Amino acid sequence: MVLFSKRLNSMVAAVFGLALCAHGAQAPRHVNINRLSTTVEDVVVPLPNEIFGALNKLSAVNWKEHVRSDEEPNFTERPRIALLLGTVIADGFIAVQAEDAPAVKGIGQRVLALAKGIGVGNSITPHAKAIIDAADKRNWANVRQELDRTQNSVQQAMNEVHDEKLSQLVSLGGWLRGTEVLTSVVKQHFSNDGAELLHQPDLLTYFQTRLQAMSEFNLPIVHQIQDALVEVKPLINIGNARISAESVKKVNEITTRLGNDIIKKD
Amino acid sequence: MNPFAKVLLCTTSLLPAIVVLPSAIFAQVDPTTVYARAFALLAAEPYVKQGFHMREDYWTGDLASGERKAVRQQLFKGNEYWFWLGTEVDHAKVSVHIYNSDGKLAEQPDSWEKDHFAAAHIIPKTTGSYFIIVSVEESPEARTHWALGYGFR
Repeated sequence: MVLFSKRLNSMVAAVFGLALCAHGAQAPRHVNINRLSTTVEDVVVPLPNEIFGALNKLSAVNWKEHVRSDEEPNFTERPRIALLLGTVIADGFIAVQAEDAPAVKGIGQRVLALAKGIGVGNSITPHAKAIIDAADKRNWANVRQELDRTQNSVQQAMNEVHDEKLSQLVSLGGWLRGTEVLTSVVKQHFSNDGAELLHQPDLLTYFQTRLQAMSEFNLPIVHQIQDALVEVKPLINIGNARISAESVKKVNEITTRLGNDIIKKD
Repeated sequence: MNPFAKVLLCTTSLLPAIVVLPSAIFAQVDPTTVYARAFALLAAEPYVKQGFHMREDYWTGDLASGERKAVRQQLFKGNEYWFWLGTEVDHAKVSVHIYNSDGKLAEQPDSWEKDHFAAAHIIPKTTGSYFIIVSVEESPEARTHWALGYGFR
């Protein structure tokens, strides 16, 4: 076993060595983006902690004031559960930023309950357990990785049964909650660099396109989100100009309103 | 030896990451995609040890020699990113490069390519959309599967 382990470690070292001895990549300095006809359509939505990490580097953030651990009502509509699940996973990332172990553990349990509500509980059970175990050990890197795996597993399980639209709602719920917290932090201590983190026009377009294809989800919350994204778009899609403090405030109002609508019963 | 077994023999801390590849992938996705993904994970391994969070989501596809594809991705100023490309095809030459929304090369000079792997490194100067261009430059196969993942810190 020891010999096997040594062999494996030496192979890893060899791969690491690849980066050192590999050829420097010769690439054209410029490409014509408009001529790239073969563009992959799949979008990987950034995790909330991708944005939170960038925010943390700008200034100290009091993450504890953004931790939310209230119990949400039970929904029966699957699109509502999917949106809420995305929101709760995002809350998990916030609780990790705040290093709030009890909140993380509670979120692990809620993620499991919501996943069961949309029929994908089985694939989430090991992740929920891993989240709780890692929170007990205050191993925050592992909690982050398990939250990412949770979202990925939920989406894989939904895609397997051709529920891709619900899977997209999970991403949307997470993105909305992440944007709500981002704008709340930047609103409190405005900086141009902080506001620039909102510059995500392609992601907004992606979500708008996906929502337009969800006509079967005839729910008020889905329509509210569609309308809200129309409001948000001109505030963040401003080319090379800077996003103003006023725009940040408006996006925060809109996403806070939507966040409340997602977690409350109609 | 099958490529997946080869990858398994190559690493230690990668093992948990491969084991948790969703079982659905093994059940439903072409095994070559899983192998390509395993090579991308292998390329990521040293960087994960340096604190990069590798995303569970990834892109896959297949290309003929000389073909390329672009993936559009939102990146945030303040973070540092690596994109890792893997293929299971022996003797294929693959590459990955990062361009900003104006089509200007935006990666760091330490981006690299070798054997089954290629990697590109970026510290974005602005927040916004970037294009990650995946190419199969040479390959003995008609179609070469690839998988692209990324990590940030």
